[in-house]
Amino acid sequence: MLTLEGLTKDFAMTRAVDSVSLTIAPGELVGVIGRSGAGKSTLLRMINRLIDPSSGKIDFVGEDVTALKGKALHAWRARCAMIFQQFNLVPRLDVMTNVLSGRFHQRPTMRNLLGLFSEEDRAAAIRALDRLDMAPFCLQRAGSLSGGQQQRVAIARAMVQNPAMLLADEPIASLDPRNAKRVMDALKTIHEDGVTVICNLHTLDTARAYCTRIVGMAQGRVVFDGPAAELTAAAAREIYAGGDEEDQAVFEEGLTSLSVTADPEPAAKAS
Amino acid sequence: MTPDAIAGYKARYPAAFGPTRRQRAYRIAGAIAFVAFTIYAFIALDFTWERMWNGLDRLGFVFRFMFPPSSGGYFWEYVHALGETIAMALLGTSCASVVALFVGFLAARNVNTSMLGYFAVRRTLDVIRSIDTLIWGLIFVRVVGLGPFAGVLAIFVSDVGTLSKLYGEAIEAADRRQQEGIRATGANRPEELRYGILPQVFPVFLSNSLYFLESNTRSATILGVVGAGGIGFHLADRIRLNAWDEVCLIIILILIAVSAIDWISRAIRLSLIGEGRAGQAAGRFSSVDFIRGEMSRARA
Amino acid sequence: MTEALPSNSTVAIVERARGEIRRQKRFQTILFVVVAAAAYLAAGYIGEVSLGTLAEGFFGVFTYIYDTAPTLHWATLGEDLASWYWGIERWLLELWKTVLIAFLGTVFGAAGAFFLCFLASANLAPNRIVAFLCRRFLELSRTVPEIVFALIFVFAFQPGPPAGVIAIAIHSMGALGKLFSEVNENIDKGPLEGLRATGSNWYEEIRFGVVPQVLPNFASYTLLRFEINIRAAAIIGIVGAGGIGQELMIAIKQFHREDQSAIVLMIILCVILIDEVGRRIRHRFIGDDMPSRG
Repeated sequence: MLTLEGLTKDFAMTRAVDSVSLTIAPGELVGVIGRSGAGKSTLLRMINRLIDPSSGKIDFVGEDVTALKGKALHAWRARCAMIFQQFNLVPRLDVMTNVLSGRFHQRPTMRNLLGLFSEEDRAAAIRALDRLDMAPFCLQRAGSLSGGQQQRVAIARAMVQNPAMLLADEPIASLDPRNAKRVMDALKTIHEDGVTVICNLHTLDTARAYCTRIVGMAQGRVVFDGPAAELTAAAAREIYAGGDEEDQAVFEEGLTSLSVTADPEPAAKAS
Repeated sequence: MTPDAIAGYKARYPAAFGPTRRQRAYRIAGAIAFVAFTIYAFIALDFTWERMWNGLDRLGFVFRFMFPPSSGGYFWEYVHALGETIAMALLGTSCASVVALFVGFLAARNVNTSMLGYFAVRRTLDVIRSIDTLIWGLIFVRVVGLGPFAGVLAIFVSDVGTLSKLYGEAIEAADRRQQEGIRATGANRPEELRYGILPQVFPVFLSNSLYFLESNTRSATILGVVGAGGIGFHLADRIRLNAWDEVCLIIILILIAVSAIDWISRAIRLSLIGEGRAGQAAGRFSSVDFIRGEMSRARA
Repeated sequence: MTEALPSNSTVAIVERARGEIRRQKRFQTILFVVVAAAAYLAAGYIGEVSLGTLAEGFFGVFTYIYDTAPTLHWATLGEDLASWYWGIERWLLELWKTVLIAFLGTVFGAAGAFFLCFLASANLAPNRIVAFLCRRFLELSRTVPEIVFALIFVFAFQPGPPAGVIAIAIHSMGALGKLFSEVNENIDKGPLEGLRATGSNWYEEIRFGVVPQVLPNFASYTLLRFEINIRAAAIIGIVGAGGIGQELMIAIKQFHREDQSAIVLMIILCVILIDEVGRRIRHRFIGDDMPSRG
């Protein structure tokens, strides 16, 4: 059980996330939707503690995540895997090592630095890659792969962490429709294994097709929270147009063209 | 995961389970060779425990006596020597820049079309460059005697070598079409170079020369060690006399002078680069506006 | 032009515009000329430059070269060369030691720079105080010339190669440390974030997120530094810190003119050889793979 209480993040000029409170039960597949700049990415980064909240509290099964420091913080990140829009792999390292980095926290630092990985770690990495049809690429440099392949490597890295939760920050925004579908299917498989998945999405269709629950954000606030079926046209307008009449065009786009397609502006992140 | 499962994956993807025995052997052999060569180098260069131990001891002694720094009553003498150092760098770099302006054209393949001439110039410059400024200093001290003039000449000669090569490369990289345009007007060779190439490469020349002024200030501080003028003479002398507090002061003075020259040259470079942009800035005289205005007034 | 132009002709207008530009720049130009003239006069005075000695100096080089050049006769070329290079065995050994000094200096300088550069990079340092201290330390190590370090170490460690090795190592550490940390500051932050999100600690982030990105650049800077250090090692002997420079200094002090030209020629050949080899190695190993900086 993940509980967010009044979670807020202020940057120099703007309030990116504005007192968000949510309770997410184990085994949910939550889709967070909203326009660019709605605060989705900041929210996920705060949950993984890549950035610190300005105020508010994150609680995971009775543990105060916001208070974690040092080794305990690393342990939290290891339990709460994350994948990114730009994959964030190390391009010059081979796929194998990139996936093995998901095991770092469970192993002594010195053995990690010397690159001494046990056969069991390697087998786990290959199994994860195999499930995503990526095992044949395991000795290639990550940088030489296509975007969809890199994202699958990133998912494999998340899987070897044996996480309790998986955060996916716009995982398909930089991908073509076919790869986007493979990635979303992989997330669904992980969800069916019993992992809680929180996934930022740009698009309504994808969220409707895959998620058990949808959270809509606009200007840093949660404006919708409920099952996919309850997401009416009016609610969607609220999320995408943010009540602003001039943004109807954006909303239309949100309804129609924003299916599992590539983001026209991959560089525009919510942060 | 069961051992069987691991073995299964290992059978399917053997390469993923780390380097093969042969790869590992190569790596270990490489590491051993490197370490062995390093140890050999230590032995060949007369490193001994005794020497290191005593040396560290004496180094501690040196540092203890460095503080507080003191001028020993020679402060103005040091400042004068520092001025001498900067003067050497300024004169050497300036003269070398002027000479290199001409030699640079000879060292450019697209200008010096005679293959023999080009290679002769290039090889001569290579030889000049491969002799360090300090060795030039030693030579010029023999030729013109002790003093800053030997230092000026040393910087001059070694910079002619380096700057000519850099200038020559800049000229080779210049856009040929501009030169062709000038040639098409019926210009002769010197005119072609003056108007077709020089405007392109001059900014590169200038920024290189300024950069060399900086680095020559550093070289000039040590030329005195061989008697070619500047602060280095005092530095070597005070070290010989074990006057470590004065050594410390001289080093501090050198650091101040070097960073001052760095700062000045950076300021000049920025203002030179910035001028092109500032020309269009508001409030400045615009010849286009001026001429347009005057012409419309004349027509009225 | 002899004919007076009407004041509203295009030519006259353009000339007026030109005059205006010149008038606006006049102050700047005058200031620049005055400052430059003053600087050069002062420099010429302090530098003890005179045209007479300038000419003397210029021709003196040729006289010097003539004086130090060996007398070689075609008939007895072999013998003449042998007597010119009478000390070839010792000099070759010293030249080899020069290369060893540069090797050890580069290895330890690069190692020191490698360990400090992560602490000195603004984007990687664990905290600001550490970054500040590391940067100042590196700055001090590279601003003090090698020869100055060598002078001090020759006093501490006695004349000989060890003083040269330590001096070159410290200076290289400063110079490489700055370059390395600049490379670090230009890395892609995505991989680092990805590793952090898996729960990696600082060391693991550096080892797997930073090092793979920067290693090719580090290697090429280190190779370049090795070439620079060979030159440095060749002259550092002038103050007694070992290598071929020490032989040159002895030849000069004892007025063995032919020895001087023999040794200088060897240094020239060695430096040109190393430059050429270095260029080839850089091309082969890094080639197109060398990521562009910035």
